[in-house]
Amino acid sequence: MQTAYDFDVIVVGSGITGGWAAKELTEKGLKVLMLERGKPLEHGKDYVTEHMEPWKIPFGGKPLRELYASDYPIQSTSYAFDETTRHFWNNDRDNPYVFDENKPFHWLRAGVVGGKSLLWGRQVYRWSDLDFEANKKDGHGSDWPIRYKDLKDWYSYVEKTIGVSGQSENLPHLPDSEFQPPMQMNVVEKAVKQRIEATYKERKMTIGRVANLTEPLGARGACHYCGVCQRGCSVGAYFSSHSCTLPAAQKTGNLTLRANSVVEGLDYDPATKRIAAVRVIDALTKEKSRITARMVFLCASTVGSVQILLNSKSESFPNGLANGSGTLGRYMMDHTDSVSAIGITAEFPNKYYYGIRPNGIYIPRFRNLRGRDTDASFERGYGMQGLSMPLEWKAMAMQTPGFGADFKKALQQPKMWLMALVSFGECLPYKDNRVLLDDKLVDRYGIPQVRFDIEYRDNEQRMQADATQQAVDMLKAAKMSFVLPIGKGGPPGSAIHEMGGARMGRDPRESVLNAHNQAHDIPNLFVTDGSSMASSSCVNPSLTFMALTARAADYAVTQLRAGKIV
Amino acid sequence: MRNRREILKVTGMLMGAGLSGSLSQNVTAGLVPTDKPARSVFDARSSKMVAILAELIIPKTDTPGAIEAGAPAFIKMMVADWFNDGERKIFFDGLTALDDFCKAQYQKSFLTCDEAQRIAALKDAEKFAATYKSAGPMFDFSQKYVDSNTPFFTKLKELTVLGYFTSEVGAKQALSYNPMPMRYEGDYDFEKVGREWSW
Repeated sequence: MQTAYDFDVIVVGSGITGGWAAKELTEKGLKVLMLERGKPLEHGKDYVTEHMEPWKIPFGGKPLRELYASDYPIQSTSYAFDETTRHFWNNDRDNPYVFDENKPFHWLRAGVVGGKSLLWGRQVYRWSDLDFEANKKDGHGSDWPIRYKDLKDWYSYVEKTIGVSGQSENLPHLPDSEFQPPMQMNVVEKAVKQRIEATYKERKMTIGRVANLTEPLGARGACHYCGVCQRGCSVGAYFSSHSCTLPAAQKTGNLTLRANSVVEGLDYDPATKRIAAVRVIDALTKEKSRITARMVFLCASTVGSVQILLNSKSESFPNGLANGSGTLGRYMMDHTDSVSAIGITAEFPNKYYYGIRPNGIYIPRFRNLRGRDTDASFERGYGMQGLSMPLEWKAMAMQTPGFGADFKKALQQPKMWLMALVSFGECLPYKDNRVLLDDKLVDRYGIPQVRFDIEYRDNEQRMQADATQQAVDMLKAAKMSFVLPIGKGGPPGSAIHEMGGARMGRDPRESVLNAHNQAHDIPNLFVTDGSSMASSSCVNPSLTFMALTARAADYAVTQLRAGKIV
Repeated sequence: MRNRREILKVTGMLMGAGLSGSLSQNVTAGLVPTDKPARSVFDARSSKMVAILAELIIPKTDTPGAIEAGAPAFIKMMVADWFNDGERKIFFDGLTALDDFCKAQYQKSFLTCDEAQRIAALKDAEKFAATYKSAGPMFDFSQKYVDSNTPFFTKLKELTVLGYFTSEVGAKQALSYNPMPMRYEGDYDFEKVGREWSW
C-alpha cells in the first residue's frame, strides 16, 4: 500500500464546487492541490474591465462578429458574454465538442481560475423534499439517497459563508435561507406583486434570493449596485471562488493552486480499489504528469467531471471509471429557460430607480405542488424569475420615429416600463439524454471530445407552454398592456444549469455515487458538482452544489481520519 | 441570474488569445481603441456629411449635440471597422441617395443645401427606411442581433444614438452618469435625477 502521496487531496476544478472543496478540506488541515484547466486569474488585478466607462468599450459594445463567429460561436450566445467579459470565457475554437445539428447543446464554460463562479447569475434557492422526493413519487429517474433534512444545516452553513440576500416567505416547498436584508422591488414590481397575489391566492412574488451582499461580510463589502458583476468585483460583493472560498483556502497555507492544468484521467488501482493518481496535461507545454493523493474531489463541472470519468477506462472499469452501473454520462438535464411573457406599463411616468440592482423578482413554483394539478398536462414544475425596468434610450431609440431636438429629449426620460417573466423549468431525468466520448475526435490535448445527445421532450415542452400561458395571464392580471407570449427558449445548455451524468443513488447498479457523493466502491473518489444530481428541480442549482460539496468534504475527512479512505 | 442583461438579451431587447501571456496582457491586447478608425474609408465630402447628419439627428439643445460629443468619429469608425462590405455599401449608397434627392429637389448637393433642405432629404431617407421590415426582435438592445440589411437611415440613426449616448459628453451631460451608486432604491422620483441613467 502506498504510504507517500504528493498531496492529501487533489481537487479538480476551481469553480463553484472546487473552491468549496478546497476551502473545506484545507480548513480541516489537509494539503490540497487544486488543478484548474483554465488560465490564472487574480482577484481584483485581473478585473481589467471592471469599471470600464461606456465610451471605452470597443465598438460601443457591439459584438465583434467575425471573432465571435470563429472563436466563440457558442459562448457568445450567453447573456453574460460581451467584450467586457470575453477574457473570462472559454474559446470554442480551441475547445471543440460534438453534437448532432438537430440536437444542439450549448456547452458554456469559463476559461479561467474561478470558472463560472465569476460569471454566474448568483440566484440561490434551496431545494425541499418536493424536489428530493420527485423521482420516487413519479418514477422518473431513481430515488435520491438523501432528503432535505440531510442538507438543511449545510445550506445554512454555506449561506452564512457566502452571504445571501432575500426575503423570508415561509414556503414549505421553497425553504428560506439565512438571509441578509432583501433588495427592494421597484414601483412596477410592487404593483405587479400586489395584483398577482390578489388574483392568485396561492402564488407569491418575492425578491430574488441572490449571492450579492447587502451588508458587509468579513472582508467583503456590500454591493455597490454598479450593475456589472460579470466583469469581476474587486469589492467581493458577490460570491465567487475569488471573493470567498479561494482566499479562505489560501489563508490556511494548505492550498497549492495550479492553473493551466488539464486533468486527462484518473488512475484506478485494482489492488487497493482506490484512485492512485491523477493524470495531468500542462495546457501550455502539453507535458504530462502523474500526481498522487489520498483522495480526489472531482469538481470539474457537470460535463467536465463526466468527461474525466469516461476517459478513465481501465480493465476494472471498461465503460468509464466508477461506471459499474452503466449510468455514467446518462440522465443529463438542463432547465428549460425561456422568456415566458412580457408586458408594458405607462402607469408610473414620474418614477425611476436609483442604482442598478443585480437581482430580479422570483415567483416560486406554484404548479403540481400536491401531486398533479387537475389542469396540468405535465409533471413537476417551474419557477419564474423576471424584473421590471423602464424602457430607456437603448430600447426606445429605434422605436421612436423622427430625429432632432424632440427625438433627443424623448430619449432622456422613459415613459414606459417593461415587465418580463422568465421561467426555469425542471427537466426530467431521461436515460437517453447523455454525454459520451466521441470515438474519433480528440481535443488539442489528445483527450476525446465530448459528444452530446440531449434533447427536451414532451414533458418539458408542455411545461414551457404552461409557463408561457400562466405568465401571460399573470401579466394581464397585473394590468400590464401589450402582453406578449414569447415562450421559446434556447437549446439544452443555454440555461447553464446542466446537471446529471454521475448521479447519486441508493443502488450501485443504478447510480455512480452514494449518499455522500462518494463513488460506490471507490472510497477515495468524491464527485460533488452538478454531475452528481439525480434530478434537476426548477430552482437555480449552485447553492445545492455548494451544500453537497461542504457536506461531502466533512464526510470525507471523517472517513479519512477513521482510516476508511486509505 | 436574472439581472437586466439576461432579461434584455433573452427578450431580444437591448439596443448590445492566445494561450500564453498574462490575462491582463491578453485582455488589453484584445481591446480595440475606438478613438480613430484603423482605416479611412471617408473622404472630405462623406466625412462632412456624417457630421452634419449626426448633428441633425441629435442636435445641440440645452445639452451638447452629436458633434460636440464626438459621435461623427464614432460613426466613421464603426462604418470603417465594424461594418462588413455589404453594410458599408448601404451606408455610402445612402449618402449618395441624399445627394440625389437634393439634386432632384434643389439642384444642389447635400453639402451646399441649407438646413431645411437637408432635413427634407433626411426625412425622405427616413420614409424609405420605414418601409423595411426587419426579421429581428422588436426592440434589440442586447446588441447581439444584427440585421445587415437595414436601410441607410436606420444604420445612421442607430450609430448616432449609440455613439452619442455612450460618449463621455453624452453620458455625463445628456444622461446622468453615476457609475458607483452605492445603494438601490426601487421607488425614486424621476425629477430627482431629471435625465436617464447612463449604463
